[in-house]
Amino acid sequence: MTKSRHPQFLQLGLSRREVGGLALGAATIAAFIGSKGASAQAANSLNLAMIGEPQTLDPMASTADLPSLIMMHVYESLYTFDQKLNARPMLAVEMPKVSADGLTYDIDIRKGVKLHSGRDLDVEDVIASLKRWIEMTPRGKSVGAALVSIDAKGTHGLTIKLKSPVPALVTHMALPSGYAAIMAKESIATPLVNYIGTGPYRFKERKPDQFVILTRFDGYSARSEAPDGYAGKREAKVAELRFIPVPNANTRVEGAIAGQYHFADQLPVEAFRRVTDSGSAKPILMMPYGFPYLVTNTKQGLFADKKIRQAFQLALNEGEMLGAAFGDEKFYRATPAHFPQSSPFHSMAGEKVYNKADAAGAKKLLAEAKYDGTPVRILNSKQYEFHHAMALVMAENLKAAGFKTQLDVVDWATLVQRRADPALYEVYITHSSFYPEPMLSPPQLGAGAPGWWDSPAKNAAISAFNAESDPVKRGALWAKVQEVVYDEVPYIRVGEFAALCAGSMRLTGYVPMPMPAFWNVSLG
Amino acid sequence: MFAALARRLAGMLIVMFIVATMVFFLTRLAPGDPAALMLGEQASLADVAELRKTYGLDQPVIVQYALWLKELLRGNLGQSIFLQRPVIVAIAERAEPTFFLALLSILVATAIGVPAGIASAVWRGRASDQAVSGGAMLAASIPSFWLGLIFIQFFAVRLGWFPVAGYGPPGASFAERLYHLMLPASVLGIVNSALITRFTRASMLDVLNEDYVRTARAKGLSEARVILRHGLGNALVPIITVVGLTAALLVGGAIVTETVFGLPGIGNLVVSAVLRRDYPVIQGALIVIAGIYVLINFSIDVMYTLVDPRVKY
Repeated sequence: MTKSRHPQFLQLGLSRREVGGLALGAATIAAFIGSKGASAQAANSLNLAMIGEPQTLDPMASTADLPSLIMMHVYESLYTFDQKLNARPMLAVEMPKVSADGLTYDIDIRKGVKLHSGRDLDVEDVIASLKRWIEMTPRGKSVGAALVSIDAKGTHGLTIKLKSPVPALVTHMALPSGYAAIMAKESIATPLVNYIGTGPYRFKERKPDQFVILTRFDGYSARSEAPDGYAGKREAKVAELRFIPVPNANTRVEGAIAGQYHFADQLPVEAFRRVTDSGSAKPILMMPYGFPYLVTNTKQGLFADKKIRQAFQLALNEGEMLGAAFGDEKFYRATPAHFPQSSPFHSMAGEKVYNKADAAGAKKLLAEAKYDGTPVRILNSKQYEFHHAMALVMAENLKAAGFKTQLDVVDWATLVQRRADPALYEVYITHSSFYPEPMLSPPQLGAGAPGWWDSPAKNAAISAFNAESDPVKRGALWAKVQEVVYDEVPYIRVGEFAALCAGSMRLTGYVPMPMPAFWNVSLG
Repeated sequence: MFAALARRLAGMLIVMFIVATMVFFLTRLAPGDPAALMLGEQASLADVAELRKTYGLDQPVIVQYALWLKELLRGNLGQSIFLQRPVIVAIAERAEPTFFLALLSILVATAIGVPAGIASAVWRGRASDQAVSGGAMLAASIPSFWLGLIFIQFFAVRLGWFPVAGYGPPGASFAERLYHLMLPASVLGIVNSALITRFTRASMLDVLNEDYVRTARAKGLSEARVILRHGLGNALVPIITVVGLTAALLVGGAIVTETVFGLPGIGNLVVSAVLRRDYPVIQGALIVIAGIYVLINFSIDVMYTLVDPRVKY
């Protein structure tokens, strides 16, 4: 039997059925292209491109930022931060009443706050959550070391008793990283399965590597004060938040410009111009977002000698390092101060040795220390390109001062393992988000962190600082700690850097904060 | 033949055992600590040690291997450290985008490669042949991530025809999910078409000079029928091999393309797992990929007997 053939396709030997199939396929493709993915965007939802998949959705199971960034929309804490990073009440009625000796905290909890399960929040939920936080998280454990008891006081009050003052207690509880999330006591389990909090959004669905969806919680009990940073009134103006892992930074940039994402987190600074010129998305800068720092190995090897660490510090040109890492000055600031001028902890202690690039001075110190030419092993990772860019400049600074250097470039997972072994490096490069309280970061200010800084001067300065509750006196005491840091060089805070994000032109109400928050945000 | 196939199956099992052993030890040879990465920057060394104990990472490697192998023989690929779910579930969740990306890519690659290779062979030495050969060389040389970014720029950002990335919004229909695969599948299809083009050309050149092709022409058959039935029909064995191996590689996860297009596939899973040193996921995913590869190779061998009766086992 001869197949019937479409005249135009005779030469290709295609049948009518084959031609029809091709036409149908083409029409289907055209229909999809015509829709331009319109269905990909629900009318009242925000597509938020994140840097990756969260390690977990339990905000106490990791101190990484991503789990907390997402889940702070679901779980609230007793305290939080305003835009100037001052602690403010959230689930607590007001700031705690602290006894004169700093050992007793009385906290009242707001009444009528609904959990996502529909039940009212009470003190039992708060105590169970705080106990879990103390058991599970590094910050909670540091509080737990000084804890005597947490007791209920009626249905909506509690008393925390300490054996020694913890002046940063409220800040610890306010921080949205490895944080003291308040959850329904019946949902508490490890691993956490049911995510029942009090936030303006409730957990709906997680598809690993695709999305985490939060939906508006209609029963949300908002504070009455005006919004201020994370503090004050929170309102879920958009019905649905979709946190989408997009590990490739260029894809986040293009997705924001194309309108597929309403917000794209942590973009490379090179994308600033492209986003600005696009006309369809706007750049969002958060400054300071964080600080890179160089941790020295004070325990073993070359850098166990304080004088050599001082030579290392004096040799560095931090401004040049930041320039290589971040390019334009709007993305970084070279400053010896560890805290901004608005902070009670602002101090310029250390300015005599910071950003000096003093090769001659460093050489002199090396001669005094009888430096034998052992190479400085600089452990760094290209996984954070700015780390490696700083390492290259640092190596040149050190060579100019007479050091021998060795760049040990590894992936981040290897660096995290190797930094725990004092035999493997002199200095490693890392970074931290900016925190308003000195004792929160870097961990070298505490005990047992890589670098193993431990000295009488450190212990005296930190003990005095930690024993003081008065904020003004703490400011002066921090200046002493900062002095010791610049003198003993357990780490070098290179400076500050900004985070670049992109937002849709339709995005309104977004306030740049260290961790992006999307309550009070709407699509214009 | 069945005895031969049984021998092949036994060989496959031995290959899988060797793969499993190599995967385990190579994974452990790489430095890195999943516990430290899981807990984050602020965790103390004591916390890290505690978590290592929880996942049995504090035990000697040989003990870990024995325990893992025992579970593997029971069909248990283990539990992901980061995803907090069984590895097999994590892989199953990501199988669909990877499978359909591979399928669409191989369709695109074959749709480009086979006709181009035939045309190149039929018009050997002419301008069209040189154009096809040059195009194939270009396609083979282009890095897929670069072509992906160019396609995103042009088709997604400038023209707005396709989404930039992802596998569709929550609740997306099957058609919508496929629509999200069109751009990455085109990229992979173009890149992978090069090898198919060159194999098709070479294979067609061999058969077009055969006596039976000359006989077919002498019988007065149309040129299309001569080329497609008598030429392509006999040139299929090497083409099937290269299409099959390309498919096997793609089913294993088009790692770079999945990352650029933000696709939640097996390639993306493996990359994340390697960066986080999520050992159970790396091991489980690589074993599944190796299994698929071995199975596809086996299927190709079986297909030889179907397309060429001269092939016997």
